[in-house]
Amino acid sequence: MSFIDNLMAGLSLVANFESFLALGLGVTVGVIGGAIPGLSATMAVALTLPFTFSMTPITGILLLLGVYKGGIFGGSIPAILIKTPGTPASSATVLDGYPMAEQGKAGKALGMALWASCTADLISNLSLILFAGWLASFALNFGPPEFFTLILFSLTIIAGVSGDSLLRGALSAMLGLMLATVGLDLVYGTNRFTFENPNMMGGLNFIAVLIGLFAIPEIIGMVWSPKAHDGKTRTLGKNWVTFQEYKKCLKSIVRGSFIGVFLGSIPGIGAAPSAFLSYSEARRKSPNKENFGRGEIEGVAAAEAGNNGVAGATLIPLLALGVPGDVITAIIMGAFMVHGLQPGPMMFILNVDIIYGLFIGLIVSSAFLFLIGSLAIRGFKYVADIPRGVLFPAVLVLCIYGVFAVNNNLFDVGVMFAMGWVGFTMVRYDVPAAPFLIAFILGPLLEDNFRQAMLMSGSSPMILVRGPITWFFWTLTIITVIAIIRAGIKATRNPVMGSDLE
Amino acid sequence: MSSREGQIQLGAGAIVASLLFIFVAIPNFVSTPSNVKNIVLSPLFWPNAIAFFTGLTGLGMVLTALRTPKPDQKAGSDVDDHGKAFIRLLWIALIMIATVFAMPWLGLVWTAMLAFAATALLVRTKHMTIAIVSAVTVPLLLYVFFAHVAGVAIPQGNFVRLP
Repeated sequence: MSFIDNLMAGLSLVANFESFLALGLGVTVGVIGGAIPGLSATMAVALTLPFTFSMTPITGILLLLGVYKGGIFGGSIPAILIKTPGTPASSATVLDGYPMAEQGKAGKALGMALWASCTADLISNLSLILFAGWLASFALNFGPPEFFTLILFSLTIIAGVSGDSLLRGALSAMLGLMLATVGLDLVYGTNRFTFENPNMMGGLNFIAVLIGLFAIPEIIGMVWSPKAHDGKTRTLGKNWVTFQEYKKCLKSIVRGSFIGVFLGSIPGIGAAPSAFLSYSEARRKSPNKENFGRGEIEGVAAAEAGNNGVAGATLIPLLALGVPGDVITAIIMGAFMVHGLQPGPMMFILNVDIIYGLFIGLIVSSAFLFLIGSLAIRGFKYVADIPRGVLFPAVLVLCIYGVFAVNNNLFDVGVMFAMGWVGFTMVRYDVPAAPFLIAFILGPLLEDNFRQAMLMSGSSPMILVRGPITWFFWTLTIITVIAIIRAGIKATRNPVMGSDLE
Repeated sequence: MSSREGQIQLGAGAIVASLLFIFVAIPNFVSTPSNVKNIVLSPLFWPNAIAFFTGLTGLGMVLTALRTPKPDQKAGSDVDDHGKAFIRLLWIALIMIATVFAMPWLGLVWTAMLAFAATALLVRTKHMTIAIVSAVTVPLLLYVFFAHVAGVAIPQGNFVRLP
């Protein structure tokens, strides 16, 4: 099929009221979720997932993508108004956003955050459309050994960069891989850690593990230390961003967007490093260098462009290779699987209408983000005032219903609570949860490809280095490990400098 | 607890877990057909490999932590009273356990209402009226969505049944 045919097929899927409603609703939920201190874009996407089960695949996935995009922008609102980033990705926005709010220019800072976010989002979506298809057609040449090395590389980089230490990330990934072995063996169908319990024969439910790891620890954390947010909410002021100011910052916004696209397309890096890199580049190149950190509008623009530039790009490895780039795309991958779809190169052949439908929906989501974001800035006061003592019990109830609804199974609710305690312990010990979840999802795929490769070669390990693609991924894996170990050694030798850089 | 102590505990825990997996859990809870000749294709291979690398990671953590100099002062805590915080943790654990066991008996909606109210009480919310109203309305609204829109068979329990 030609590009136009694909586009038309996609349009026929999304050109209806439900899809646009899902997208608009998703962005609204995301902005609110991201804006509530204590919730996050990740939790908002995870809690929305069970509501998509009764929808068509495209509507459900558009809803989740809307939540994702709204959540990333929503995090900037409390970052600017109460100096509390709603999501980790908005940490760089605090640097200049809050000083602007202190000067009575909160409205201007939020306006610039919104304009920069929408521009970056659009650039990121266009990059996804441009690169995902190309990468998928290349990935059609992959066999089991290539997929094995690709997944191994992805897990290595995710384990390495998700937390402060490669070893803690690696431990998290190992635990995720071990949990993924629960259930019947993929080849022989024999029991592995099922304890004769029929509920465990299909493996642990992904959504129970996900919500347990990312929502329940927040509730337990709230019980451990029940404090309200301390920040004082600033008023918006009367200054609003002008087109002239947007034009002045456009160079930083475009640069930040491309930094976001580049870092977002590498599994594991995420939005926060991208926002900081974009911010530091903008400061390095700006004639007002000394004003950064004291309320420079270009700083807000660069940080927001950096974190929103990631949003579309993280879908590149997911759609083209079937490898989630971060936790949110892992949840979206779960949504694909719940609806009987397997992201990866074959999806560009078998479900090309859904792919193009998503592309169209993503472009439209940038416009929704602009409209809903403008309203959300004015309505933040009401969101910030939601009492945490009521919010978190509500989240608990939402988790119980959501997890039960997946399989109509009470056992899954128990799994969710158990995983919640695992997640809370991981938080207390500074062990990142992202490698755990992504390893849990990719574990069966990694093992399956490994065993298929071994079957193909008569158990000769040489098949894992059979050609340039496997060499490429092995080289990247080795380079990643060396780079992370070197960075770790440097940080240990010079902890003061390390903390400064953070 | 300093980061160094935490890393030593984690590393030691990983080594113990690895040994338990290799010598207890995998031999007892992973079954393999007797005709599998190639170890690489056996259902035992993957769990053993992961357990081995978990132990190796744990060893790396302990060695790295031992090489790090001891901190001069203890890290600050995020709670004022550890005893009370642990008691609250115990209560939330009990709420979770009670929720799982009460659901088949009381039904999901009523259990969720009680879990909501108990959690709100536990965190000593200052907005008790809102909490009580929400404890009733949130589970009911979710019931309406999941039972009547999404078509999920929500457990009703042995007492009051909802339409």
